[in-house]
Formats: sequence, C-alpha cells, structure tokens
Amino acid sequence: MTASWRENAILRAASFLTPAGQRAEWLEEWRAELWYVPRREAMRFCLGAFSDAWWLRRNGGPADKKPSNGLESPVRCLAILASLSALGILVAIGLAVPLKRAPLYSGMSGRDLADGCIAMLAFSSLLLPGTFAVWRSPANRQPTSWRSKLRLGLFLSLKVALVQPIMVCAMMFWFVIAPVVIFGPLAMSATMIAILRWVITDQQRRCPICLRLLTNPVRIGTPSQALLDWYGAESTCSRGHGLMHVSETTGSYSKKAQWLRLGESWSGLFSARQL
Amino acid sequence: MILQAIAAGHVYGYTVMEVTGLASGTIYPALRRMERDRLIRSQWERQSSADSALRPPRKYYKLTRAGDATLEASRKRYPLLAKLAPAEEVPEI
Repeated sequence: MTASWRENAILRAASFLTPAGQRAEWLEEWRAELWYVPRREAMRFCLGAFSDAWWLRRNGGPADKKPSNGLESPVRCLAILASLSALGILVAIGLAVPLKRAPLYSGMSGRDLADGCIAMLAFSSLLLPGTFAVWRSPANRQPTSWRSKLRLGLFLSLKVALVQPIMVCAMMFWFVIAPVVIFGPLAMSATMIAILRWVITDQQRRCPICLRLLTNPVRIGTPSQALLDWYGAESTCSRGHGLMHVSETTGSYSKKAQWLRLGESWSGLFSARQL
Repeated sequence: MILQAIAAGHVYGYTVMEVTGLASGTIYPALRRMERDRLIRSQWERQSSADSALRPPRKYYKLTRAGDATLEASRKRYPLLAKLAPAEEVPEI
C-alpha cells in the first residue's frame, strides 16, 4: 500500500529524533512496515514512530560519545549560570522598555522587576521541597558528612538563585508577546517549570561529595527479562566517591535514585583517572 | 508476549503488533531493546525477494538461543503465554 504524504511527513518528522547515522535505515524500516498497514490504521501506526525514534535517540549511540556540555564541574556550572543570569537581567531590562509602552504595564518601575524576582523565588520555593528528598537513604552505612550536605544545599541554593533572573527574563518575554500569542501564560508557566526541573534533575545527577556530574552510565538488568525485578542504570563519580543507582521502574520501592558510597579502598581504582 | 509471537512465526514488526494487540510505539522500541539484549536478532529481507513480490524489503526477527531460553522460562512461569499467539508458518528468509 502506498503511504500518503501525511504519513510520510510524520515519519520524516519523527526521523529527526533519531541519531543521524541511523536515520536512513530507521526511516527505511518504518516505511517498509507502513506499506503493510491498512490505510485506516496508518496514522495511528505512524504516531508510534515518535516513541521509537525517541528510544533510539536515548539508547542508540554509545554512552561515551555523548557530547560534553561543560557543566560537569560545579564551579563551571555556576559560572555559566551566572553568565546566563547576567544576560537575563540585561535582556529583561531591554524588554521592560517596550513593555512600559503598553497601557497595561505603563506604571511599571524597576522595583517591579525586583518584585518579579521575589515572586519567582516564591514560585520556586513552592516546587523545590521535593528536591530535599532527592535521594533515598544511602545503600550502605557510610553517612554523608555534614560538610558535604552543606555544600550540596549551598550549591542547590546558588543554582536556584541564579536561575531567577533567567526566569524573570522568560516571564518578560512572554509578557511582551502575550498580545500576539494566545498560549503565552501557559508557555510562561511551562518555561519556569522546565527551568526548575532542570535545576532538580541536574542536582540528582551530581555526586553528593564532590558535586561533579556523574559519568559512565551502565545498564543494570534487562527489562526484557524482568517483570517485577529491578533494572535501571548505574552512574559513577569520576573521582570514585560512589555509585548512583537510578531505577527505570516506577514502583514505590524504586522511585528515587540511590547513592552508594564507595569506601577508601576503592580510591586506587580511580586515582589514575581511568574513567 | 513479543518473544512468544516471534517464536510462533510472526516475524515482522507489524504482525507482532497485530498478534499482541500492542501499539506500534510499544512494539518497535521493545523489539530494539530485545535485540540490544540479544534475545532476538534482525535481518533485512533480500532485495530480490522483495522485488519479485512487488513490495519493499522488510526486517525479519528471529529468536536467539538466549531468547529461546528466556521464552521457555516465561512459559514455565506463565503457562497461558503459549496460547497467546497461534503458530504460523515461518517464511524463508
């Protein structure tokens, strides 16, 4: 059966999610399968291509070929956030000028910008309590020191503070285009939640001791063979502080990531920076 | 379910979909995952065979030894699984 342009367009759009090296074969496979699908089911069949393409994007390439985004080091992460934050403030000030011309916002002053920041902080505070329970209780009896906990909390607080100007900038942007775009308020909320979600996710992916991003994810268990068993991924701290187990199942017993602290006896393995 | 369907001779993605009743967005990633876990292996049909049948070549799936063992273990655990997919004549690849 010959596919219509609509189904072909869906497959073509989904193919952009796949890694470039596998795109041609992926597209060929889906087109071949589509040929056998009855016309009335073709649309629903093609929509499944997005799920498959996304799976291939996440699991298709080898882990060590993932590009580095420069956020591995906590200091560099804060520096990048500070730069973006400064840029956000400048853009927000720039956006305030056309916004003040609008009758609705004509009475807006610099104080309102500060109030906006405080409102953003309050908004963040509403969503962030969940992050304080980022990890399950450690898998072994080596407790994380209070210094590490303090550093972790401080790092999170700094990140939350530094994303505020970026969020205000996003808010101003959506205010400016609100008369043109109907879904402005919705997009504004989505942007803010996405930024806060990144803060939380980034925190979860860091070693609680040295705050560096965890590396070398390795798959544990095989989902194809496990019905009620555990499977997921294990990442390592490049300095050898420990391992993070992240379950792919969403049971109450395996919802959060679990940190396994490695003892001093493991330090020899990591001293040569083998990872 | 998917292993059972392939073992029963439903060796293309779409027929696996039809037999199991699962959506394409579930079946194809699951097939890739099983292939990565070496439970199944895939092979493209020869272009000449497809040309003679006036259709595009398709990708066939076949159970590996590990896949057979896993399916056997699953059948022991869930005896009704064997009744899920009726056996079909496996085409020559």
